[in-house]
Amino acid sequence: MDALIEKLKGQIIEQLNLAEVKPEEINPDSPLFGEGLGLDSIDALELIVLLEKHYGIKIQDPKDGKTIFQSLRTMAEYIKSQGKS
Amino acid sequence: MTKAYINGIGCISPQNSIDSEWFFDTINPAKGDYFDAIEPSYKEFIAPNLLRRMGRAIKMGVAAGNIAIQQAGIEKVDAIITGTGLGCFEDSERFLLAILNNDEQFLTPTSFIQSTHNTVGSQIALIMKCHDYNFTYVHRGFSFESTIQDALMLFEEGKETILVGGIEEHTPNFVILNRRAHKFQELQSNTPIWKSTTPGIQMSEGTAFFVLNKNKTDKSLASVDGIQTLYKPKTSADILNKLRSFLKLHGLILSDIDVTLMGFSDDVNFDQKLQELLPSIEKESVAACYKHVCGEYHTASAFAMWTAVKLIEKQTLPKVLAISDKAPSKIKHVLIINQYLGINYSFTLLSQC
Amino acid sequence: MSRRVYITGLGMISAIGNNVPESFLSLSQSKTGIGKINHLTTRYKDEFLAGEIKLSNEALADLVKDNNPALNRNSYIAMLAAKEAVINSGIDTNDGLRTGVISSTTVAGMGKTELYYKEMFEKDDHLNVLDTHDCGDSTERIADYLGNVDYVTTISTACSSAANAIMLGCRMIKHGQLDRVVVGGVDALSKFTFNGFNTLMILDREWCKPFDENRKGLNLGEGAAFVVIEGENTLNLRKGKALAEVVGYANANDAYHQTASSPEGYGATLAIQQALTMSGLTPSQIDYINMHGTGTPNNDLSESFATKAIFGNQVPKFSSTKAFTGHTLAAAASIEAVISVLSLQNSMIFPNLNFTTAIAETGLVPETTLVNTPLNTILSNSFGFGGNCSSLIFKKA
Repeated sequence: MDALIEKLKGQIIEQLNLAEVKPEEINPDSPLFGEGLGLDSIDALELIVLLEKHYGIKIQDPKDGKTIFQSLRTMAEYIKSQGKS
Repeated sequence: MTKAYINGIGCISPQNSIDSEWFFDTINPAKGDYFDAIEPSYKEFIAPNLLRRMGRAIKMGVAAGNIAIQQAGIEKVDAIITGTGLGCFEDSERFLLAILNNDEQFLTPTSFIQSTHNTVGSQIALIMKCHDYNFTYVHRGFSFESTIQDALMLFEEGKETILVGGIEEHTPNFVILNRRAHKFQELQSNTPIWKSTTPGIQMSEGTAFFVLNKNKTDKSLASVDGIQTLYKPKTSADILNKLRSFLKLHGLILSDIDVTLMGFSDDVNFDQKLQELLPSIEKESVAACYKHVCGEYHTASAFAMWTAVKLIEKQTLPKVLAISDKAPSKIKHVLIINQYLGINYSFTLLSQC
Repeated sequence: MSRRVYITGLGMISAIGNNVPESFLSLSQSKTGIGKINHLTTRYKDEFLAGEIKLSNEALADLVKDNNPALNRNSYIAMLAAKEAVINSGIDTNDGLRTGVISSTTVAGMGKTELYYKEMFEKDDHLNVLDTHDCGDSTERIADYLGNVDYVTTISTACSSAANAIMLGCRMIKHGQLDRVVVGGVDALSKFTFNGFNTLMILDREWCKPFDENRKGLNLGEGAAFVVIEGENTLNLRKGKALAEVVGYANANDAYHQTASSPEGYGATLAIQQALTMSGLTPSQIDYINMHGTGTPNNDLSESFATKAIFGNQVPKFSSTKAFTGHTLAAAASIEAVISVLSLQNSMIFPNLNFTTAIAETGLVPETTLVNTPLNTILSNSFGFGGNCSSLIFKKA
C-alpha cells in the first residue's frame, strides 16, 4: 500500500502540475480537496483520467470521485479494491 | 465627446516593456522571421495555485493587467474587457493534439477549459472578485479596438473605471505552420519596414493592458479621445477621407497631430495602402512606426497604444520609431493608424491631458 | 439617436430546421432535432446523441451558392442564418445607411483545423486552413455575403456569446454608432468541443432533461441564428415592421469558478435583476422565461435558485428549449432569441421536453406541453464559462 501511495504522489504532482509541491509534503491521510492540497472540481476530473490512464479504472459518474478522492489513502485503497495495483 | 483617461498601463512584448522605465533605448531584434515575448517571473503577479493551470497567454494577460491596476492604484473596476485574435492558442493546441494523438481518449479538461477565448478576462474577474460587465472581443485586427469602443460607450452609460487589454500568444508549431504557408520574412536590414517590396511579416505576441477612467485624476497619463475601425476600405484616398472626418469630429486637422504611428507590417501586400498614405501623413504630421519593434499580431494596436502613452509621457519620439526626418516640437496629439492583413484598419486618437 | 431598439428580422438554422419556418414547425409539433450523430467524425458517435444540422457541408455550400474552398461549416451556417434575417427584415444594405455585423463564436474554424492540423506539417494542400481558424473569419464572410457592411466585430464569451452580441448591437444603435445591425452567434459541431465537454463529464448519453431531478447533463448541438436590430428612427423612416422590442439586457459575472456556476446563482441573479431594472418591468410583469437550462446538474440548480431569488414564489411559466436544439454554445442565445420572438408572435410557449420530476431543492416545474397563451414579455437567460451571465428581455411589438 505504501509503495502505491508513493507512486500516486508522483503521478498526482505531474498530472495536476503541482510544481510547488514536494511528495514528502503530502500527508496520505490529509484531505485532497478544499483544505490540504486545496484541489477543486477540475482536479477531480483530472484524477478520474489519471485512474483510467494509469490503472485502467473507468469512472462514469463524477459524483463517485467524492468518496474515492478523499485522501491519498482512500484513492490507493480504491485502486487495490479494483484489483488494479 | 466622452474621453477615456489612461491611469495605468502594463505591457509584455518582445521588448523590455515590462520595466516601466524602458523607453526604446535598447531594441531586441526579431528571431529571424518572428518575435517571442519577453516574459517576467510570474510568481510576483499570480498565486501559485492559479499559476499551475495557466497557459502563457493567460499568464501574460493577468500579469500585464495586474501591473496596470497597481499603477492606477485601484482595487476594483466596473468592467473588464479583453481583446484577442486567437485566444489561448497554446491550450487550444494542447487539447487538439491530445485528441489527435490519443484518438480522443485519456483527455483531461484543463487545457480545454483554459482554451476558451474569455479565459483571461474571467481569470482577472475571479482574482478581483469583479461581478461586473465582462466582455471578450475576438475579431482579428479589431479585437483590441473593440475593447476601447465598448469602454467609451460604457462611460456614457455610467461606468467609471474599466480595465481593457489585448492579448496574443503563438506556439512553436504555429510559427512552423505559418512559415510553411510563406507568411513570414526576415526584416530586411537595408529596406525599412515602411518601404517593403516583398510579402511576409514577423509574427509576434504580447499583451498590453490599460486602466481607463471616465474622469481625469492625478494618475492620468493621457486620454483616448476617439477610435474608429474601417472594414475593407477600397483605396488609400478612402482611408484619408475617413481620417480627415474622424479628426474633424474631434475638432482637429491632420497638422494638429504631432506624431502619427503607422502599422506597417513589412508585408507589401498588406502595407500597400499605408505606403500610399505615407506622403500625405509626412506632409502634415510626423510619421512613425512600431511593428519592427513589437512584430505583427492581431492586437499589435495595443502595443501601439502603450507606445503612444509613453511618447506623450516622455515628450519625445525615439529615433528607432521615426519615419520622418523632422522631430515633433511637442507631443500633444498622437494618432495610431493600424492595419491588419490590409483588411482591418483603425484610427485611435490619444492626447496629453 | 434612437432610444428604443427593435428586432425586425429573424434567421436561424439548427437541428430543428434549416430556416425559421421549419424551426417553428418543429417547435410547435414538439419535435426534437437531437438524435444519432451522422456528420461529426468521432469515435463516440454511437455512444452519444447530438443536435446536428441535417445537411452535409456540400449541401450547405449549395444553399449559400458559393463553392469557395475556404468556407467551412461555421461560415456556411452563419451566412445562411444572417441572410435569412436580412431578407426577413426587408432592409437593403446598399441604401447608404450604416450597417454592422456583430457575430459570436467559440469554435470558429476549429472544425476544419482539426481535420488537417497534422497533415499541414507535411503537405501544403491545406495550409489555407490557417486563414480561417480564427473567430473573425465567419463574421467577415457574413459581412461580405450581405455586402456593403460598415462595421464588424466578434464576441466570444463561451455559452453566453450571442446574448452579448445582441446586447452590443442594441447599445451601438442607442449610441448612434450604427443605423442597424445584424447580431447573433454561430457554432458548428467539432471534435474539439465534443471532446471538451466530454472531459468535463457533463454530456448526457440520452436525451437531456433540463430541470429534471435526474438530469445527467447536456446534449451538444450546432447552429447559427441572427436577428436584425434597428432603432425606432430608421425603422419609422423606412416604415419597416418591428417583430419585438428589446427592452432589457445585462451582463454580469459570477466570479466563482472557471467553469461551474455558483450554487446560489449569484451572477445569474445579478444579470436578471439588472435586465429587469433597465426594462422598468417588475418581476410579476414577466410572462415567460426561456431558461439557459442546459440539463447539467450544476447549471439547472444554480439557475433555479437565481430564478427563485428574483421571482420568489411567483415564478413565471418557464421552459428550456435546449432539449429541441441541443446546446449550441455561442449560438444558443440568438437561437433562443429567435424562439422567444416566435413565442411572442404566436402566443405559444414551447415545451421543456423530457421532464418528469422536479428538482427536490427547488420544486420548480417547467411547461412540458405546448401552451397557447398571450405573451407580452419574455426573459431569456444565457450563462457561460468564465462566469459570464447575460439576460435579455423581449417585449411584444
